[in-house]
Amino acid sequence: MEFGVFMELSVPRPWTAESERQVYANALEQVRLADELGFDYVWAVEHHFLEEYSHCSAPDLFLTACAMQTKRIRVGHGVVACVPQYQSPIRIAERAAALDILSGGRLELGTGRSATWTELGGFRANPDETKKTWDEFVRVIPKMWTQERFSWQGRAFSMPERAVLPKPIQKPHPPMWVAVTSPGTEFDAADRGLGCLGLTPGGFQESERKIKGYRARVESCEPVGEFVNNKVSTINFLSCAEDGDRARKAGLRVASIFSYMASQLLSAKEVLPTRSYPSEGLLPALRREKGGPGDAAQGFKGVTMGTPDDVAAAIRQWEAVGYDGINFFVNFMEVLPQQYILDSMRLFAREVMPQFKDPAQQPVPVGAD
Amino acid sequence: MPLAGSLDIGSLLEGAPNVTLDDREVRIDDVEILQVLYEVRATDIEGMVPPALNPTIPPVVSFLAYRAADSEFGPFSLVQTRLTARAAVRPRAFLVSARCDNPAAAEALAGSFGFRIEPGEIRLQKFHDRVDCRVTADRRTILEVALVDPEPITGHDIQYAPGMHLARVHDDDGTRPRLVQVDSEYEFRRADRGRPELRTFDASAWGDARLVPTEAVSASFTACDVTIPPVRYICNPDIPAAEGTQNVGDAQSHA
Repeated sequence: MEFGVFMELSVPRPWTAESERQVYANALEQVRLADELGFDYVWAVEHHFLEEYSHCSAPDLFLTACAMQTKRIRVGHGVVACVPQYQSPIRIAERAAALDILSGGRLELGTGRSATWTELGGFRANPDETKKTWDEFVRVIPKMWTQERFSWQGRAFSMPERAVLPKPIQKPHPPMWVAVTSPGTEFDAADRGLGCLGLTPGGFQESERKIKGYRARVESCEPVGEFVNNKVSTINFLSCAEDGDRARKAGLRVASIFSYMASQLLSAKEVLPTRSYPSEGLLPALRREKGGPGDAAQGFKGVTMGTPDDVAAAIRQWEAVGYDGINFFVNFMEVLPQQYILDSMRLFAREVMPQFKDPAQQPVPVGAD
Repeated sequence: MPLAGSLDIGSLLEGAPNVTLDDREVRIDDVEILQVLYEVRATDIEGMVPPALNPTIPPVVSFLAYRAADSEFGPFSLVQTRLTARAAVRPRAFLVSARCDNPAAAEALAGSFGFRIEPGEIRLQKFHDRVDCRVTADRRTILEVALVDPEPITGHDIQYAPGMHLARVHDDDGTRPRLVQVDSEYEFRRADRGRPELRTFDASAWGDARLVPTEAVSASFTACDVTIPPVRYICNPDIPAAEGTQNVGDAQSHA
């Protein structure tokens, strides 16, 4: 199993001149520790205009800072918005390649299309078009990376022959993923040879069915890039402490506030009758799982909260379902003290992670002989 | 924590309807519904919804027009001006006010479900290229909205959030200000969507001059049967909905 930390960079009100700087500083400290402890990935979202929920509108800059402060952890866009009003695919290819160079070949490129009216409406993007533009973007980006010069005459995007520079140092190119929230997106991922970056905390049975469908289909895919990334990961909340009750209480606080804040967003589906968004993304899953703001994760099975044994048991369940990795929220809206989070990550790395890793791949702890 | 409403309930209670909770259900067949959504200026948005609710980001106003060819009250039209909101994690729409052209329907909807209704003349017209709605009151046009260039969709693509209606609710314990949750049910037969158009909106005439539409969002038009079931939930408007929501059965038994 692979493990990652997932960064939203949420900034609670009241906002002061220091609020955002402190959130970024805390996140970077968590990432440095994750690198030392042997976590495989740090993922950063791309969100715009989502007050408090996420102030991570320039994830490539944040991930560059992560890369500059770490040695081995892979830095992932989780995910970059493939919406022309947000950015051209040229800019995605260029900036991602630069990040791959600066990180020493540690980039993972997750792709997506936004699910909120808050964001899509803010850029005056047409929600009916986002699935189509995403499809075009994921087809052209690997070609921009691998072809010396590239030209394209497409539906949402076109360009004359030019060299898109720089080129990434990972060859043939960095792994590509797609965010999977809407039903059926796992098939989109499989057909294009993209990894599934699960962002919805679903149930075991639903997950198993999705993964089986993905695995069967990815075998015969025609990848958009030069190779198939057939990894499937999910998302969870990490809170690990020797005192299991304390850990669950802390983890549930994070899950509850995450659910509450996510629910305040205005989904595209809610305000616009469109088939482009068959579900509301993350939001309905969370609403289904809870009856009120105090019990967000009560019905969410397999939460990675509790003692090391509790967390390991939950991970085994996800592993059995077929996931290759889990990416963790370690905090949200700064509800947990930084020291608690760092201690939780350390305990997880010491007691839980080795149970799921090849010992040969474990990093040598800092200061060890 | 997200923005929370800060609307002064006391200032609104004077015009709020009196509701007696009972098991009344209203079914209206063959209703045509035009919904036009616009973003509204976010300045002062907290002051436009009660403390029980959270405004959405961005705030959106919904103009929701019903035309019923017939009903137990006879033919009637009803137009609501509502603000998108959240009751804890649930999508809701706070009713700013409504206009109705049938006094019997207005009285029933106010008395059983807390619709804050004033009289108005309503003209909802469907053409092949557009659907127009005009509301006049005191000989002034106070709302003109339209759906332009309709294209067919399915009813599955339509969402009407449950309403939250500020009312004085009577029970054995007396009279209390409450948000009455109205969970209307819809059986769709036809649905279209199109480009929204807003030509006239007199915010003062709808009860809140701070309501300033800014950006067009969407428009839909449906033909459906509507059932308004008996009220199941009421909510204390002055505290967060997660703490102040009561099942009506519980509210009555505890009274």
